[in-house]
Amino acid sequence: MVEQEEKLQLLRDILLIDDRQVANAINERIDAITQTIDTKEKLSEKVDPILDERFKTFIEEIPTTLGPTITKTLKEEIANSKDAVVEALYPIMGQMIKKYIGAEIEKLSEAINQKMAKTFSMEGLKRKVIARFTGQKEGDLLLSELDKPIVNEIFAIQKGSGILLGNYSVSNKVDKDMVSGMLTAIKSFVEDAFGGGNQNLESIDYELYSIHIYNFHSYYIAVVMSGHMTSSFENKLENRVLKVSRKISSKIDSLSRNEVDKILTTLFKTWKAIKY
Amino acid sequence: MAHPKKIVLLGHFGVGKTSLIRRFVESQFSEDYLVTVGVHVKKKEISIDGNNITLVIWDIEGNTSIDKARKSYLLGTSGFIYVFDISRPETFESLETEMKYLQDNFENVPVEIVGNKKDKFGEAVSEEFFKTQRFENCTFTSAKEGDNVEDAFEQLTRKMLAI
Repeated sequence: MVEQEEKLQLLRDILLIDDRQVANAINERIDAITQTIDTKEKLSEKVDPILDERFKTFIEEIPTTLGPTITKTLKEEIANSKDAVVEALYPIMGQMIKKYIGAEIEKLSEAINQKMAKTFSMEGLKRKVIARFTGQKEGDLLLSELDKPIVNEIFAIQKGSGILLGNYSVSNKVDKDMVSGMLTAIKSFVEDAFGGGNQNLESIDYELYSIHIYNFHSYYIAVVMSGHMTSSFENKLENRVLKVSRKISSKIDSLSRNEVDKILTTLFKTWKAIKY
Repeated sequence: MAHPKKIVLLGHFGVGKTSLIRRFVESQFSEDYLVTVGVHVKKKEISIDGNNITLVIWDIEGNTSIDKARKSYLLGTSGFIYVFDISRPETFESLETEMKYLQDNFENVPVEIVGNKKDKFGEAVSEEFFKTQRFENCTFTSAKEGDNVEDAFEQLTRKMLAI
């Protein structure tokens, strides 16, 4: 019986020895894995290189995979919330504009300095003489030399109806008929609203431009200007407008638009060549 | 080149003056209602019997009566379009008084009376209601669907040219 037992044990040893070794090896491996998972440093050591690799690939692929979606979303968001975007950009733009103006003032200051340095030149002497005889400030004359007044548009407009009688334009950018109508509407509104008897609106300023209005009996002439106006230039402009009125007033009802256009063009096309 | 003709659209608030102009000038319509403040000026060139005419159209803010409109906006007008809303009786109940005002103050200026929003016939009001003598000189338009809008402006232009 004992012998049989021994034989059976021997048989068990022969049959199970490999399994035990395998089981031991597996247990050891599981222990090692468990330790790796439970220990942050060890897990990090294993996983970090994989994540780094994946992350690197992800970043590299963003322009092609997510780029179009992000661009589309941004465009939609900007379109849907223009006001918010403007609000957000306003301070940045403000700073930029401030810097730009600062730089421009610096340039202007340099230019004035250069001009002043030439005070005793012929040009400076001439300016002094003009200032003395016209009563204008020398500084104003200097400014008008740096920021010359330019006539951009001239409109001859029928009073009341706002119908354009004729026009001279440097740029031809705006719809003249609509401008004439709206200008007349604004003029009528101001004259009505602040109704000072027969008083007329004489000028409108907007940013770098100003509109000078010369009123006649049945029409008015609006001159759109940019640049620095001196009183001497204003005088010359007024004289030129009066010249126009002398040519058109008596026959205003019979003149066609082309005829008025021609008169205005003849009198104002050479305006740029005039010395201020 | 002949001088353009000024047309002013008159009528109560929300009768569709701006929509009519938009349909006529830009061939567009929007359901959104934005009240006109002050005046908008639009332009359209049309051709009638071979004559090219430029219309400068003044879209002034609505008023319960023409008397309340800013007088200076009406100066030098070659033709008026008086617009009412067929679905709102208050916009045409004083039609005769309004026409008399224009007759008295702008004697030789032609007027086209327009009943707008004809797409609402049968829904808010019956078409039969407007087939009486009182409305015989009216043109019924729909700025929404574009019906008769061009006709209304063309009819007025023809009247203006006849004078």
